[in-house]
Amino acid sequence: MTHTSANAPGESNAAWAKVVDHTRCIGCHACTTACKSENQVPVGVTRTYVKYVDVGVFPTARRAFQVTRCNQCADPPCVIACPTAAMHERPDGIVDFDKSICIGCKACVAACPYDAIFINPEDHSAEKCNFCAHRIDVGLEPACVVVCPTQAILVGDMNDPASAVGEIAGRGVLSVRRPEKETRPKLFYTGAHATTLDPLAAARPPGGLFMWSEQGDIPHGVKAGNPSHANSSTAALLSYDVPHRAPWDFRVSLYTWTKSIAAGAYLVPLMLVLLGVLDWATPLWTWGAPIVAAVFLAVTGALLIWDLEHPPRFYYLMVRPQWRSWLVRGGFIISGYGAVLAGHAAASWLGRPDLHRPLAVAGLPLAAMSAVYTAYLFAQAKARDLWQSPLLPPHLLTQALLAGSGAMIPVALSVEPTAVGPLAWVLAAAGAVHLVMTFGEITLPHGTAHAHLANLEMTRGRYAIYFWLSILLMTIALTAPWLPIPAAAAGLIGLVAFEHAYVQAGQSVPLA
Amino acid sequence: MNLDKLSARVSAARQETEKRGETFYPGPSRIHLASFPPRERWHDWIELDSRAWPERVEKRYMLVPTTCFNCESGCGLLAYVDKETLQVRKFEGNPEHPGSRGRNCGKGPATINQVTDPDRILYPLKRVGKRGEGRWERVSWDAAMDDIADRIAAAMDEGRHREIMYHVGRPGEDGFTERMLAAWGVDGHNSHTNICSSGARAGYAFWMGMDRPSPDHANAAVILLVSSHLETGHYFNPHAQRIIEGKKNGAKLIVLDTRLSNTATHADHWLSTYPGSEAAVLLSIAGYLIRHGLYDRDFVRRWWNWKEFLDERRPGAPATFENFETELQELYSEYDFEFAEKESGVPAAVLEEVASVVATAGTRLATHNWRSASAGNLGGWQVARALFMINALLGAIATEGGTYPSAWNKYVPRPIHLPPRHPDHWNDLTWPQEWPLSLMEMSFLLPHLMKERGGRIDVYFTRVYNPVWTNPDGFSWIELLSDEEKVGLHVALTPTWNESAFFADYVLPMGHSSERHDTMSLEQYDGTWVAFRQPVLRVARERLGEAITNTRDVNPGEVWEENEFWIDLTWRIDPSGERGIRSFFESRKQPGSKLTLDEYYGFMFENSVPGLPEEAAREGLTPLDYMRRYGAFEVHGKIGRVYEEEVPAVELVNHVTDEMDRVFTEVPKPANPNVVPFPSVAPDDDGRRRVGVRVDGSIRRGFPTPTGRLEFWSRTLHDWGWPELAIPTYIKSHVHRQNLERDELPLISTFRLPVQIHTRSANAKWLSEIAHTNPLWIHPRDAERLGGLGTGDQVRVETRIGHFVVKAWVTEGIRPGVVACSHHMGRWKLGDEGQRLSMATVGIESVGGVRDLRWKKGGGSFESSDPDTSRIWWTDVGVHQNLTFQVNPDPISGMHCWHQAVRVTPARPEDRYGDVHVDLDRAHEAYRKWLDVTRSASAHSPDGTRRPYWLLRPVRPEKEAYRLPAEPESAGA
Repeated sequence: MTHTSANAPGESNAAWAKVVDHTRCIGCHACTTACKSENQVPVGVTRTYVKYVDVGVFPTARRAFQVTRCNQCADPPCVIACPTAAMHERPDGIVDFDKSICIGCKACVAACPYDAIFINPEDHSAEKCNFCAHRIDVGLEPACVVVCPTQAILVGDMNDPASAVGEIAGRGVLSVRRPEKETRPKLFYTGAHATTLDPLAAARPPGGLFMWSEQGDIPHGVKAGNPSHANSSTAALLSYDVPHRAPWDFRVSLYTWTKSIAAGAYLVPLMLVLLGVLDWATPLWTWGAPIVAAVFLAVTGALLIWDLEHPPRFYYLMVRPQWRSWLVRGGFIISGYGAVLAGHAAASWLGRPDLHRPLAVAGLPLAAMSAVYTAYLFAQAKARDLWQSPLLPPHLLTQALLAGSGAMIPVALSVEPTAVGPLAWVLAAAGAVHLVMTFGEITLPHGTAHAHLANLEMTRGRYAIYFWLSILLMTIALTAPWLPIPAAAAGLIGLVAFEHAYVQAGQSVPLA
Repeated sequence: MNLDKLSARVSAARQETEKRGETFYPGPSRIHLASFPPRERWHDWIELDSRAWPERVEKRYMLVPTTCFNCESGCGLLAYVDKETLQVRKFEGNPEHPGSRGRNCGKGPATINQVTDPDRILYPLKRVGKRGEGRWERVSWDAAMDDIADRIAAAMDEGRHREIMYHVGRPGEDGFTERMLAAWGVDGHNSHTNICSSGARAGYAFWMGMDRPSPDHANAAVILLVSSHLETGHYFNPHAQRIIEGKKNGAKLIVLDTRLSNTATHADHWLSTYPGSEAAVLLSIAGYLIRHGLYDRDFVRRWWNWKEFLDERRPGAPATFENFETELQELYSEYDFEFAEKESGVPAAVLEEVASVVATAGTRLATHNWRSASAGNLGGWQVARALFMINALLGAIATEGGTYPSAWNKYVPRPIHLPPRHPDHWNDLTWPQEWPLSLMEMSFLLPHLMKERGGRIDVYFTRVYNPVWTNPDGFSWIELLSDEEKVGLHVALTPTWNESAFFADYVLPMGHSSERHDTMSLEQYDGTWVAFRQPVLRVARERLGEAITNTRDVNPGEVWEENEFWIDLTWRIDPSGERGIRSFFESRKQPGSKLTLDEYYGFMFENSVPGLPEEAAREGLTPLDYMRRYGAFEVHGKIGRVYEEEVPAVELVNHVTDEMDRVFTEVPKPANPNVVPFPSVAPDDDGRRRVGVRVDGSIRRGFPTPTGRLEFWSRTLHDWGWPELAIPTYIKSHVHRQNLERDELPLISTFRLPVQIHTRSANAKWLSEIAHTNPLWIHPRDAERLGGLGTGDQVRVETRIGHFVVKAWVTEGIRPGVVACSHHMGRWKLGDEGQRLSMATVGIESVGGVRDLRWKKGGGSFESSDPDTSRIWWTDVGVHQNLTFQVNPDPISGMHCWHQAVRVTPARPEDRYGDVHVDLDRAHEAYRKWLDVTRSASAHSPDGTRRPYWLLRPVRPEKEAYRLPAEPESAGA
């Protein structure tokens, strides 16, 4: 045996991996309860569980099992998405977590293509299988490996060909879950069934029921299994799974909207000034833009903090930034933008309008980036196929123009009535572009089954009411040049409805 | 923290462990990581706190072994006792346990839920008001014990021994309580066996005397299961690990199960047989082996009682083996694959393929049937008999990879006192004359027998037994238990609330797995072992220097354990010793004082477990300390073919051989520290002990049957009224199509789930979270026929005595024309007391003989000392189906034949989920119908006794009590 634990924990030369042998797994759930026991995992959440899919037709039916948990990716999306490096990769390859610095933003949950991360209701921090690192570090196998009656779960070092895992990794017929996500899982399956590996292969049974359990009506829940059909030519029916949760609720939907307003309220007047439609001295620009933008930026920040599981830790984003995270990058963009807005208002207050122009040199890109960075944040949620859209940055910019013009129309009405017309044309134009882009979004065949299902949920499923309301209102918003006030209201409400449909539908696809 | 130093101090990894000269437990991964801490460190082990992670917070534990008390497998557990709080932090497996080998199913780790269950019973309770009213007051143990002891003593003084009854569900121990009843001189043992395994036991017992199989799956070439041992059963985890091991070694797995079980999914051949047709399938395989001469001729010639068969059935014909073979051919010619297809629905071609696989097994055929088909059907015992016939044809009995008789793979150490007493009376309420061959007590008929025949039970103990919920026809049990004339005092010994305890006078809390003493030994492979269950906190505190004299001082609240309870109770029954009972519960070291458990188990491990004292001495420990430290000990490795062993000459002084080649000796039986129960083999007319059988000239041990051989033809069955069933045959089930109305379907109601165990696991939150409902499995074709039922739709399932309302689960995993419903769920409570985790609150309405149960409140989250109970996200707790089942006592084995004939319809508008409706008069009529097909001892006994003496019987009464009374006696008189 070449390895010892004389190396400091986590710093050995090992490359830890696991193999789950489904030719041995009997679906007994011992791993589930042993893990709950070892890691004191509360009711309602799991680090690992065994999914069941019934396949085929009597009398040649069978039941396929899948031990479902963190894949210990070599390229872990959760680590990239985590703003504070609470999710991190140890030198020995274990993707571990540090609850003391988790701010509870759920970016890791949104990023994980395997739905393996959850927020622990006891300590409100993100948690998942970490290979029982605390056991490995004292020379013990993980709890699930030890308990398994049929020795279906093995842990080992990919660098050690003499170990069972090394041998299977080399010579076994392996599969992994969702390789298209480019995460390079180090949890390998042998004997796994196609209908368990693909979360959409098996149909979700009707009636809210699995074979011996409820599917669970939990807040913000996502039920496992394909709701419309089985993505498999075999008859595949999901017969056991656990309730899942979408990470980001209405607060995130709302945040995208308030942020669009915050960005647009500055961008649109600036654009009109630059185009010579408005004068640099118009109060719409000197006072209206910074006040409206700052108010909505403040609301945006408040929503973001409210959405955290650990609101008091929000400043960790700034003091212990993990720079690959778009939450961090976005945080700094928003802060920079906020500083510009403050400077802009201060300049107005001090009677120094000459400073508005130099400030706008920074303000223009910062406002645009504030609008657009969310596309990159959502893209970092690698699990959510709907959001992996190359059109999302321009679409968010369009939404910012729409929101900004809509929000500024009532302001203009009181301080600069002549601006109402131009603003209304911006609103109508942005609304039209938004509608065209949305039309493209929903009519183009989607590249993946996940994006397709998310689109179905948005247009015909759980979120259809929000979606079609948004389309209706957005169409009304096109009348802005003639009915500016009702159109502005319709545009703003339509946009928030759209954001909700889009953000929630993006998370409505079962991943496990 | 210096991590290198940490490693040097606490690491269980191979190099560090071996450097310290300690035990490295290799895990399945075959790397340097251990599966368990070295046992030398179990007294003080440091682990890193998983909750404080990644901060490396050290926690100190004492690892104390015990034995799981969830299912019947008796797997090893290691309790991690936190040395700071002196509470159990978690349970892992025990690597020193030979049966479970450190591994567990989901129920093992979940034991901690049961210990910390916020709804557990912590103090002795006495009912206030009427029985069943649901009002309780806390009483002292002393007051309860005195009350109970006084009643028992009075019953004994007045010769009412028959009015004392101990009714046990899961024994979880080997013989302690049976010996106590023997010491009391009370024929009061009652068990759950006839709702569990009597069918299979009968099938095995009539073949070989011993009543259980012990398959050697790991070494088999073919594994043939009429069971679902990859998820449940005797013995789930120990057998599942060995079945998969066997498969990995190349064994073919054949599974007979109507339902797609987790076991069937792993089968190379899944045969979804129509319920009750299993014996037809198995006999067609046997017939194939016979027709094609694929059986082990020499084995059959040597070990079957074919001579006796020919003598009886073909008197006059020459008793040659060749003639027997011709007979055999003829007897089984009717069992061809076409016949089996007609009965089972499985295509003949599939059956032929399976038979050809079985034929390749040779002596490596591991088979098992325990409940399943033998527990479901009229004549189910013939399923086990037909299955074992295949082993008997191939000679795959007690061979490597074959099937062993249970008793040779089980070790019950002789205790300090072995009462030589036998009750002088016969309890007709448990052993009625109509079922002289019943393998065990006719327990589930008690309400009907008492309704019909009168009788009274003055003191009725139920222990880990919940007849109201588990038995068929539970409302009849409620009637019985509510009747204070019939049941004088009902004492429920239970760790948790159950439906029967609601109808008790005393509810006395007894410990879970880690809170009590017991020894267990189970036939799980070819070897014998003894495992020790112990109260782990007591052991931990004693190791830390405390003197603890009573387990209830360390258990939660005043939870006690049965061992100490029974010793104490016996002393109160016989305080002065004048009843002659106390002496069996007295210390030897200090005569006149109570036997302590240290002395009881200390004696046992010192004197009755060969090899243990030596092994303990090697570590400088007493045998008791060794078992307290490691929890289990393997007594013998390979046992092998005991029946082939030659009887040594010292045992053959003055031996005689009778005309049936049975050999009897005058040499008394050598002392044997293993007191595992065997059938009682009759001596010869001169009182010589039977020592073996003569086979091909040499004297072999043989089998503990009347002939000493494998009994293909059973004289017992023949002589006691069932000559037509004396050889393995196919009996058409009560749910055979010809016995059903056109619109009736068979309901399979017995299947278990891997994470639940009867009514004992309803207090484990992690298990309930996984499985908490029991929809009716129905094939899409049937669902369509019944009006397009979909999963989740409510259906009314009508039995012949009532109905229940449940949801449908439409699945390809069941044979069309059959429905199935798991029996675990559907727990209920009447008021506040009970397990809120898994019990619905219900009301019961009684109008005449009709009972209606309806939910008032389902499950769901609740506030308790455990924050997790507020996170319960499911509300369903399933439906109680057993209430609607009539009793179906098999006339031979006495087994309750569980399958029910039902009609399934969409629920009616007035139906609510969970509804149960039962007509008690129809329930009693159903009992009368089954009674009518019995063949009573009074009409059929060949020798004027109530029961064949040789058959196993717990707390065997003295021989005189076996005599049938001259005139019919009234029960309980």
